[in-house]
Amino acid sequence: MTFEDIYRTHWPKVLRLCIGYVNDPHWAKDLAQETFITVWQRLPKFRNESSIGTWVFRIASNHCLRQIEQEHKMPRSAMPLDIEDVSPPTTDNAMAFLYKSISELPETDRIIISLELEDIKQAEIANIVGISEANIRVRIHRIKEKLTQKFEKFER
Amino acid sequence: MDLKELWGKQASSIPDTSELIQKAREFKRNSLWRLVLTNILLLVTSAFIVLIWVYFQPEMITTKLGITLIILAMLLYLLVYNKLFSILGHVDYEASNSEYLQRLLKLKEKQLFLHTTMLNTYFILLSAGICLYMFEYVSRMTVTWGAFSYGITLLWVALNWFYFRPRSITRQQDKINRLIRDFEELRKQLMNQ
Repeated sequence: MTFEDIYRTHWPKVLRLCIGYVNDPHWAKDLAQETFITVWQRLPKFRNESSIGTWVFRIASNHCLRQIEQEHKMPRSAMPLDIEDVSPPTTDNAMAFLYKSISELPETDRIIISLELEDIKQAEIANIVGISEANIRVRIHRIKEKLTQKFEKFER
Repeated sequence: MDLKELWGKQASSIPDTSELIQKAREFKRNSLWRLVLTNILLLVTSAFIVLIWVYFQPEMITTKLGITLIILAMLLYLLVYNKLFSILGHVDYEASNSEYLQRLLKLKEKQLFLHTTMLNTYFILLSAGICLYMFEYVSRMTVTWGAFSYGITLLWVALNWFYFRPRSITRQQDKINRLIRDFEELRKQLMNQ
């Protein structure tokens, strides 16, 4: 698989993961770009020990986690997309609300739920995050519950 | 509400790869620039000191020892600075999140240790080097001027040791400790069921 192929297939997925993590389109784009720079640099050494998808998502989620080093420079309140008061719910602001709700979760939960929504198998998510599959299953269940509750309030 | 369907609605155009490559180049250039500048600055200073040795032909062993210590201090600084640069630049992004966080934590602890130890050793070597170096020239002065020269030098050494050194260490420590706390927090999220 060439870099171009990986880039074309995975860019939208990685970008969504990053938007879910930081809830800021520009910041997310920077993060996705950094991810693919790493992918580009490391690709010649990629050994097929995991699937290419798992490998790319590991790099992307680790780049996200590292944002905590920068996050202090940008207070959370300064973030855009504060649409809680907007009504009535349409698809567009429902989507924005979903991304906003995810970005308010604890950091590692943001990664887990983004991967789940991306339709990644739970065994693979476990491999990316580095915890057991059973643990992932429980977590996904809890996160979805939390999100559903938020959506119930949102739709009212 | 189908979350998966909503999630996939985030439209995105795929930027051209040339944009990516340009960014990669900029990234590399910026971080390399500081490294190269520091290296050049300290190497030029060292070369200048060696030149003093050659040009003035000091007679006493203390002068030569002093010069050696000063150069050693600068080389040590460079060594650690370059090492820090390379270990910070090579975090393993390919590990799983929990492994990655663990490695990042170890790295930060190492960084803290290296920075503190390096700074202490650097100041000790530099101060000792300067005091030894001066001896030959001070010994040719009158007692009053000699005492004055050493007085000023020691004052400068004290200022560095008691003011600038702890300040730089504390600043670095605060920064790294904050990061260590944050990374530990993230790791705890993964440990908790």
